Amino acid sequence: MPPLSGWTVWITGFVGKVSALDQVMHLFVNDFFIPITIFLIMLALWLGQGDPVRREHLQRGIMSAAVAIGISSLIVKIMNIHIFWPHPYAIPDKLFDSARYAMQTIHYPSGDPTFPSNAATISFAAAIGVYLTNRKAGIVIYFLAFLWSFAHFYAGMHFFVDIIAGAAIGILTAIFISKVFMPRIEPIPTLVMKLWRYLYLA
Amino acid sequence: MASAYFIFVFLASIGLYQIVTIPARLKGLWFFNQPWLQYIFGILTILGAYGWFFTSKGRNLQSTVEGAQQLGLFLGAIVASYFVTAILSSIIQAGTNAQDDSPQEHKQQDLGMEALKTKTLFESIAARLKKGKEEKV
Repeated sequence: MPPLSGWTVWITGFVGKVSALDQVMHLFVNDFFIPITIFLIMLALWLGQGDPVRREHLQRGIMSAAVAIGISSLIVKIMNIHIFWPHPYAIPDKLFDSARYAMQTIHYPSGDPTFPSNAATISFAAAIGVYLTNRKAGIVIYFLAFLWSFAHFYAGMHFFVDIIAGAAIGILTAIFISKVFMPRIEPIPTLVMKLWRYLYLA
Repeated sequence: MASAYFIFVFLASIGLYQIVTIPARLKGLWFFNQPWLQYIFGILTILGAYGWFFTSKGRNLQSTVEGAQQLGLFLGAIVASYFVTAILSSIIQAGTNAQDDSPQEHKQQDLGMEALKTKTLFESIAARLKKGKEEKV
């Protein structure tokens, strides 16, 4: 059993008490609603700047965020091989009946391992990646990342440590990619930008 | 599910392009001459796409569209909608833009999307091809 697993029992105890909250969480925990909204915000940033110098700066930031999402997902896959514990709803203990009820009410049994949370990893990698080039948009994505992660926690899909570990992996990977990796692999990002420009995509 | 997801992202990004190209002044991607029409079209298309996708069917199901496939479909849909937008606006704006072959305009062909501030995609490609021919001569 992971540390702080009692927090999952506590939070999933609220499911079924306020129907409106369950409905909202049903939407937020969805595999499409928040991730697509995050990616559309990134797409809007890619195109929505009039000044070409500022646009290129933003586009490089978005590119870093996209690379960070890919690399952090890979890190999660590798961790999944070495660290494993069941989802809260899958623990055969009466104490976790509330997590089972929460999962059945709000989401569905996940095929992915629980540690670390993939949703938290991806969304926080996107948030920090964008935040480093556009603070306002970054804060909006942080908020969406928080909502998506919280919805997974509320729905009994993850333990608290799964979410925290996922967020930490996403944030640290995005900082590393933006500040260290992308500058070191120059001129590859510049060549990629040239290719996008040739295709009228940047 | 995969086709519905593709259509959802395709429609939402078509609407998004109409909105975000206003502050970017990328007139080559505009469907309308008036920004307020662009905003209305964009907002309605995005809301319509979200509304249709999330209300037509329950989406909290064990999905057949997972991880990498979801990313691939998303990228395919946003690139496809970008080129559909560029082609449609080229057709809509055909013959309306004044042709300017000044050296400054030629330089803009190397700036990618920046060229779409004054030309449509078709006009930009034509200008690039013309420039290529001139350089050969």
